[in-house]
Amino acid sequence: MDDSQGKDGSRLMKKYIIRRILSGILTIFIVFTLTFILIKSAPGDPIRTLIGQDNDDPVLQAALEEKWGLNKSLPEQYFAYLSNAVQGDLGTSIIYERSVNEMISEKVGATVLLGLTSAILALIIGTTLGILAARHEGSAYDTITSVTTYTMNSVPSFWLGLMFIILFSTKLGWLPSYGMTTARKNYEGWAYVVDVMRHMALPILTLTMVTMPKYFRTAKSSVLQVMNEDFITTLRATGMSEKKIFSKYVFRNAILPTITIFGITMAYLITGVSLIEVVFSWPGMGRLVLTAINQRDYPTLQGIYLIMSVSIAVVMILVDIIYAVFDPRIRYD
Amino acid sequence: MEHLLDVRDLSITYLNKSRNVQAVRHASFTIDRGDSLGLVGESGSGKSTLAMGMLRILPENSIEMTGSALFMGKDLISISHEEMNRLRWKEIAVVFQKAMNALSPVHRIGTQIEDIYRVHEPRATKAEIHDRTMELLRMVNMPERVYRLYPHEMSGGMLQRVAIVISLLHSPKLLVFDEATTALDVVTQGQILEEVVAMEKTIEMTRIMITHDMSVVASSCRKVAVMYAGELVEIGMVRDVLKQPLHPYTQGLMSSFPSLKGEKKQLRAIPGFLPDLSDPPAGCAFASRCPHCTQQCLSQKPVLREMPDGRRVACHLVGGQKHE
Amino acid sequence: MTKIQKALRAIVSDKQLLFGLIGIAVLLLIILFQDVLETHDPYDYGPDSLAAPGINGHLLGTNKLGQDVYSMLIAGVSTSLKVALISSLISALIGILLGGAAGFLGGKVDMVLSELINVFMMIPTFFLELMIIAMFGNSITNVMIVIGLTSWASNAKLMRAQALSLRERTFVKSAIVMGETRPQILFNYIIPNGIFPVIANTTMGMSGAILTEASLSFLGLGDVNVISWGQMIYDGKSYITSAWWIATFAGIAIVLTVITFYMLGDGLNHVLNPKHISGGKK
Repeated sequence: MDDSQGKDGSRLMKKYIIRRILSGILTIFIVFTLTFILIKSAPGDPIRTLIGQDNDDPVLQAALEEKWGLNKSLPEQYFAYLSNAVQGDLGTSIIYERSVNEMISEKVGATVLLGLTSAILALIIGTTLGILAARHEGSAYDTITSVTTYTMNSVPSFWLGLMFIILFSTKLGWLPSYGMTTARKNYEGWAYVVDVMRHMALPILTLTMVTMPKYFRTAKSSVLQVMNEDFITTLRATGMSEKKIFSKYVFRNAILPTITIFGITMAYLITGVSLIEVVFSWPGMGRLVLTAINQRDYPTLQGIYLIMSVSIAVVMILVDIIYAVFDPRIRYD
Repeated sequence: MEHLLDVRDLSITYLNKSRNVQAVRHASFTIDRGDSLGLVGESGSGKSTLAMGMLRILPENSIEMTGSALFMGKDLISISHEEMNRLRWKEIAVVFQKAMNALSPVHRIGTQIEDIYRVHEPRATKAEIHDRTMELLRMVNMPERVYRLYPHEMSGGMLQRVAIVISLLHSPKLLVFDEATTALDVVTQGQILEEVVAMEKTIEMTRIMITHDMSVVASSCRKVAVMYAGELVEIGMVRDVLKQPLHPYTQGLMSSFPSLKGEKKQLRAIPGFLPDLSDPPAGCAFASRCPHCTQQCLSQKPVLREMPDGRRVACHLVGGQKHE
Repeated sequence: MTKIQKALRAIVSDKQLLFGLIGIAVLLLIILFQDVLETHDPYDYGPDSLAAPGINGHLLGTNKLGQDVYSMLIAGVSTSLKVALISSLISALIGILLGGAAGFLGGKVDMVLSELINVFMMIPTFFLELMIIAMFGNSITNVMIVIGLTSWASNAKLMRAQALSLRERTFVKSAIVMGETRPQILFNYIIPNGIFPVIANTTMGMSGAILTEASLSFLGLGDVNVISWGQMIYDGKSYITSAWWIATFAGIAIVLTVITFYMLGDGLNHVLNPKHISGGKK
């Protein structure tokens, strides 16, 4: 009897995961198609841009069109690009004549370093502060943190970054404001790590500050909500200590929305990271996006966008699976 | 013989910014060991507040309690939190309304039972707790597997039985059912009440049933206390009160439920509403809805008076001996 | 109590709503008295380049081209509000129509639309906006349209939920029985009765639109012919060590405006969203 129950549960769980993955694939497919249509309907001829407006050599134009596969029909181009993308080939940058994969893989590490560090910091700090605010609802601490996070939620990340540069780099001279390492100083070993960490400090501080309010709000409101649930009254009536009630029952129930928020915040964070990379000249994907925009390098843009969508989809699927593990109710929905 | 619970002149007031709601006013009653008392009244009558106040699970900074509630010689209203926590569940347990929400949705039933059991028996082994639970589960006709289930995997009736099992873990002296069967269908409610009554034949238990449903009291209690607008208006043996309700409110309450014996009587609801408890009337609280209201009722508050059959009624029209 | 009294009481009892409304009133007054408030023509390249605050009558200094920062801030109010209003109107319109249709019609329509909503909730829309602006030109009109076209998903989700529950209500059912057509029911019953949470959400969305416009401008994708706060931060970035005032004040203006819309949205949510109307003490 119990075995069948367990098997049933894991079967439903598997079904749920498969459904999530399929919907993730669908999302990426739609993103892919959307960007393809966008790029093809964009005004301006990329070949013209490449060979220069004044160059009227039809032979060169035809040769370039053939080289980039632009002489084929649109459906042919679509399926060619699709099949390449499925095999992991994101195409070639028109401007640099380099593989987009290569260009992204050079930059992705630096971006992930920033994104992941600040995501985890924001999660831990925001959630902790939020829980404390809920525990001391109405106190001076609650008022101060709530007002601060409310304000932080309205601050443009890139502007906050600039303000930190003024304060910590220009005025105080404590931290570097540019790049990932100190140029012309070939630090090695531990010194290198310290150097990178010093360069990371301000971008991470900025990103953490602007992402944290989402976790703060979520944690605070869900703790308050769970504290009002009937089962908390039951546990209090049993004489269980507030400490135990909180650490086991309130926490476990209140943390569920935070898991969801982690997934939802990913898109926001990727946007934030890109902007912050521009502010601090961090050698990551954000800078790549900026140059690709300025040079109208559409294949690179499309490749980056696809990679971003895939990573967000993957994170969201993982988050959903983690959620299903934490919340027994979800598998049956 | 000393009463198990002796409530004297208990008043509970909710303190709000703009107004103070006197939810319970000067309630006095007693329960003896092994007895069962139904606390009846419509919603808002203060019956739940009365019980939750005695158990000290109302938010302490927004209520004010006066009077006393002596339980085995200790005043529940004035003892320290530590002392209260020692009594909780060990001596006084509650079966809450809405059993659906009375358990954490993300923990297995067994886990929650273990934690609750260990509040008072920190060194109890898993096996001990499991055995004790199985024993209780059998009493309410529940299969063993519920121990490993989550609340959402069970029906309302099953959860209610689990809530009863949890309340009985330490064989408390006093058990409070707070609208425990209200959310269930009539058949399940009947089954559970039968099980509870049957259980009392095997284990010693004193019980307070808080309900708005006279039929629940009729089928499971020996005594009944009727509450209206924060005041007790009639207390007596169920057989007496049900056969011949004296207080006009009790009469109204009786006729708004179908007769138990199947006699065909016209059902009628009591017209009117509860008075504003932030500004209770000077006279009888029921006066504005009472079909027999007199001038005296409006100006003078009736007190509980003892009747020849031992019950006490607070009504100018009924008379009786002044209590104490 | 009259409706106006009720509304006033709701406003006074909800601090966020009150502050939000005061903030909006201030912003509108600034737009109304723009000409009076501006000390210089914000588009005029004056002789003072990178003047510090207070120098030569420039209250908050000047930028590289000698434009008066304070007057630019004043001019930026109408840009921000225009972007907020138009883009969120587009987003509300799409959201209400798609969400309402999905929830009310159900079946296959709902399946397709729900999946579409989910996709738009999931994808990083900012990069989509970025690509479209980069391709189709960075006029302020394009910016507003693009923000509207990419930010409707949360509105649609709310409207769909509303329509799903309204569909089961008696007055909708009786309208069906009385033979009203589906579009009639959608526009006469479902949308008018379910629109309130969407209004609150759209107000919140205005904050998002202002931030998005600023972010696009910061990446050099703003409309260079229009004065906007984001554009000012973009310009000020190069002088962040020497002329901090260009970016700093524009950022403060963004923060204050965005907070105003957040508070208004939160406040409206408390007042308009049925979920937030609590039933008092249990």
